[in-house]
Amino acid sequence: MTVFLDYLQFVLAPQMITGLALGVAVVLVALGLTIIFGLLDVINMAHGEFYAVGAYLALALGASGVSFWLLLVIVPLVMIPIGYAVERGLIQRVFNSPDRHVTTLLLTFGLGLVVEEALKVVFGPNTQRPPTPITGAIEVMGVILPNYRLFLIVFGIAIMAGVALVINKTRLGAIVRAAAFDRNMAASLGVPVTRVFAGTFAFGVALAGLAGVLLAPIYSVFPTMGRDFVFLAFTVVIVGGMGSIAGAVVAGLLITQIQALSSLVVSPVWSDPIVFGIMVLVLVIRPQGLFGRLGHA
Amino acid sequence: MHDAVPLKARPPVVDRLSLAMRASHVLVAVFVAAGLVFAAVGAAIGDTFFLRLATEALIFAGLALSVDILLGYTGLLSLGQALYFGLGAYVSAVVLKEIPSFWAAMAAVLAVSLVTGLAAGLIANRVRGVYFALVTFGLAQVAAKAVYNTRSLGASDGLIGIPIVPIDLGITTVMSNAPAGFFLVTLTIIVILYGLSAYFLDTPFGRVLVALRANERRVPFLGYSTRSARLVAYVAAAVVAGMSGALYPMLRGFVSPELLFFSTSGNAVITVVTGGVGTLAGALYGSVILTVLKSVIGSWTQHHLLVIGLLFMAAVIFLPKGLMGLVRPRIERLLGGDVK
Repeated sequence: MTVFLDYLQFVLAPQMITGLALGVAVVLVALGLTIIFGLLDVINMAHGEFYAVGAYLALALGASGVSFWLLLVIVPLVMIPIGYAVERGLIQRVFNSPDRHVTTLLLTFGLGLVVEEALKVVFGPNTQRPPTPITGAIEVMGVILPNYRLFLIVFGIAIMAGVALVINKTRLGAIVRAAAFDRNMAASLGVPVTRVFAGTFAFGVALAGLAGVLLAPIYSVFPTMGRDFVFLAFTVVIVGGMGSIAGAVVAGLLITQIQALSSLVVSPVWSDPIVFGIMVLVLVIRPQGLFGRLGHA
Repeated sequence: MHDAVPLKARPPVVDRLSLAMRASHVLVAVFVAAGLVFAAVGAAIGDTFFLRLATEALIFAGLALSVDILLGYTGLLSLGQALYFGLGAYVSAVVLKEIPSFWAAMAAVLAVSLVTGLAAGLIANRVRGVYFALVTFGLAQVAAKAVYNTRSLGASDGLIGIPIVPIDLGITTVMSNAPAGFFLVTLTIIVILYGLSAYFLDTPFGRVLVALRANERRVPFLGYSTRSARLVAYVAAAVVAGMSGALYPMLRGFVSPELLFFSTSGNAVITVVTGGVGTLAGALYGSVILTVLKSVIGSWTQHHLLVIGLLFMAAVIFLPKGLMGLVRPRIERLLGGDVK
């Protein structure tokens, strides 16, 4: 019995908390992806790079003395015009091409390459790590919990709840859902669809930037950080159902827990194959994912 | 009777797709001629570097060709074609280390890519559109991570020390480290792969694939099976990628897990989109152009991906039919007038 309790206290619980922190982080990135897909029908392959840009902005501004708490506000605000410009300047140009999925996927893939390379030019290829804004740890029932990860979990869940509230309960959210459901009908009822599209894209990009700020102290900052991370976020979006907010949250927390717990049994190097195995399995059995699409509840 | 019909009076029936394919053949003939001149000049001045670089461009052209079979004909974007390329390279490397025989390696790669393509095709073809892109991507990631973590395949270091093999061509034997000789062997194999793909896509069966791309729902009403057509195209693409990959260890003497990574698949997609989707010839030209660009830009900055990424984005926006979209219609006009 004590062996089991010790295992719970020193192995299982810390592993699950670490997994939960990663899960919350992944969900923040996946939320933007899934909202953009749900509304615009666009796979944003550059999403991981926006996450990296957020992290680098936090690193650069943090180094010049801006406090972490201010960064949580500034970085998403800076990301919004970037996202808006990308949607209007690039995505809208190919939005009406015959095969929108493939064309936008290719375009954002190219954009991701360019951004990643630009980050290398500006910041160098090395891994950097901003200081952890909240140090220390607390002990709950014998389980050591690092304060920053706890903050990340609480703050992340608050953001998710906020996004879900805005999309599902406000007038703005109703406009977004209407445009996702039938853009022509929404447009004929006076919804400024083009601006809603660009605004939603910007919002998704801002969420990715925010995730970058939050995760930089834990996972470090390096130019390819986005590429590595977005694969996981894509898996989450697919398993949860493309365009589903609830799906992204459930699948994100589920997959990261599977990843965290499986690494106790098999070598952690196999966690990626396991995750992608789940993705392929879900796609084959239930291609639409666990939940329905935005606006199609 | 039937003899009464004046056959001569009829204009020759050439449909647009056959004409386009003939234009592609012309472009590939030009490509081969340029390749032969290049090999002759290279051999005459005793060059090694550029011949080997060109051989590598040809090998990656084969990978791009396989992406174009899927994207250009069935309309399915594969983000994991590196799976078969890397598989071909690894199988070839393992076989060559055991039995140093070119034909044994090629036969083994053919068999393995057929079987793997069939198995993975049954999974991937259950979904379409964006989901197809992501399943192929996921499959390649699983394979890449598996190879990356397998000690006996060299893990992250890959396999080194692939022996130089004699390639017995019946009339003559070429060593795989002879720059001009191996360049010509590679050119021949890639052109054969092109020829087989072009022939296969120009048959009535190939037309089913084109029809699939245009409207997948209507095809079954015409009495064709969409599933088998898609599966055959997928397996054919797997074999083309695998055979190209098989040449890689012969050229380089090593294989590394990077061959299976997303960057390899992504490069092939960039090649096809720049060269021209659905032209087959575009894959060959695209690969050469991209290789030239990489070495030219790479000579003054290590951030060549920045330029290539921007060019690629420009191609997606301004040249949706790629470079071949600029050239091929002119050749079509020369070949057959304004046949619609």
